[in-house]
Amino acid sequence: MITLTVNGVSHQVDATPDTPLLYALRNDLALNGAKFGCGLGQCGACTVLVDDKPAFSCLLPIAALAERKVRTIESLGTREKPGALPAAFEAEQAAQCGYCIAGMIMRAQALLERNIRPTEAELRAHMAPNLCRCGTHMRILRAVRRAATAMGGGVRNDAEDAL
Amino acid sequence: MSALTRRRLLGQGALVVAFSLSRRAMAQVAEKRPALPGDLDKFPLLDSWIRIDADGHITVFTGKAELGQGLKTALIQVAADELAVPPASIELVTADTAHTPDEGVTAGSHSMQDSGTAILNAAANVRVLLTEAAAWRWLVAVEQVELHDGAAHAPNGDSLGYGELATLLSLHVEAKPDVARREKGVRLIGTDLPRIDILAKVSGGAAYVQDMRLPGMVHARVVRPPGYGAELIACDASAVEKMPGVVKVVREGKFVGVVAKTEWAAIKAARALKVTWSKPTTELPANAEELYAYLKSTKPMRSQKVVEKGNVDSTLAQAKKSYSRPYRWPLQLHGMIGPSCAIADVKSDKATIWCGTQGPFRSRKNIATLLKLPEKDVRVIYYEGSGSYGRLATEDAGEDARDVARALIGTAQYDKSRDERKRSR
Repeated sequence: MITLTVNGVSHQVDATPDTPLLYALRNDLALNGAKFGCGLGQCGACTVLVDDKPAFSCLLPIAALAERKVRTIESLGTREKPGALPAAFEAEQAAQCGYCIAGMIMRAQALLERNIRPTEAELRAHMAPNLCRCGTHMRILRAVRRAATAMGGGVRNDAEDAL
Repeated sequence: MSALTRRRLLGQGALVVAFSLSRRAMAQVAEKRPALPGDLDKFPLLDSWIRIDADGHITVFTGKAELGQGLKTALIQVAADELAVPPASIELVTADTAHTPDEGVTAGSHSMQDSGTAILNAAANVRVLLTEAAAWRWLVAVEQVELHDGAAHAPNGDSLGYGELATLLSLHVEAKPDVARREKGVRLIGTDLPRIDILAKVSGGAAYVQDMRLPGMVHARVVRPPGYGAELIACDASAVEKMPGVVKVVREGKFVGVVAKTEWAAIKAARALKVTWSKPTTELPANAEELYAYLKSTKPMRSQKVVEKGNVDSTLAQAKKSYSRPYRWPLQLHGMIGPSCAIADVKSDKATIWCGTQGPFRSRKNIATLLKLPEKDVRVIYYEGSGSYGRLATEDAGEDARDVARALIGTAQYDKSRDERKRSR
């Protein structure tokens, strides 16, 4: 048994210590948010927050997480009461197949918690590790800008100019 | 009258079969039915597309699949617009071999043309029937009946819900061609309707086949040969079968897979399994440049003329300027962001497969052939996967899951690892 703290709740998980966090989240805790994309930390579909920083859950063995706090998209609100980022993604209709979106939102959440007024360049650099196969990038960026504004901040237009 | 299909045979009973046969025989000597729009021509019966329950619940059926292109929302929008009901009152059933018309493969931007047009015209037919039923019930002219918000309304203020009207008529009738579109009232087509699937996708809701968890389900991984034409020489399962959580090592011909109680145990078992393969008969070059040279050296399986218009040679000969350029299409174009996944529930006499196939009826045929079951006993249900992009027009995760589940006679979720996916192309 391994103890995992996910979305503020402590869970006893019956999994081997080498199990990547992603499988514990999806299979043991039945959380759908984090997705298996590449399994190599190259696409970001599995992105969750570990101690407030974005992490590839497909690569992190649960043994490495003893005291660390894991957050998934399920912590950002419900379907009925979505948090600022999910609501902004819905408002901007920022999904096609949607498989990458939970990872995108968690990466964006890490940025906005740290800096509610990032520049456009900071936003784009921060989001770069996560890939979208459908080409929804411009809507995804719009959604993060919308969420930043809704949270009381906003993405600053810098010299690079938001398209 | 289109060919008598299994769907109609199964769904409609003996009386209808006799009717269909006689109509078909008649059609050979008498008039040919005028063509109907889109796939309504292949499935002319209205209840292939739209059903209205006595409680007013409306179900719309499409043989096409939601790949992230927004199909579900668009089809609901089309049906709701023509039936004059709020979009939320329509339940849409997508590609499912047990319930929907066989509209072939979801590809080539054909879904609105084929299915959207069929649903639009079926809905227009249904609207006319509902209007006529209300007019008959109230003994008024059809022009005096107005349909909106799921009910027919009479000039004197009386109203009848679609459910009640539906009990007065049969939608098991053929569509008429050239039924006029609805003229009056609020329109949905042309408005921006939010997609019905996005909220679940941005809030951790169940949205993909990977999110399905069936009771007693086990997990599988397939161990692939290193390349085309490699034959299985040996497979030593003894060590792997002793690994914790491993249920079985499946071997059938050159198909090798492992089954475990948990996904991670299956992955570890697949990695640990000692399999010896012969040298592949075909080795694909490792880099893109060599790959193009290799492709050019192979013999095309078939060539296809897309357009034949005018005389290319004489036109080019007369051209003032001509350019010659090679154009290459990247081979990885159809890749998805994640591996495909399928769940198979295989019993000795029937099978159900959930997967992201763009051609569920084609998948059913392949799966039934390999299971040696009649097609009617195999059900393929489309369920969204990790994108699609044409890759799932030739979905094989369903077939892999079937192979694993057949060996177990049970339920197996099969989720390819990235490496396996690359090799299986």
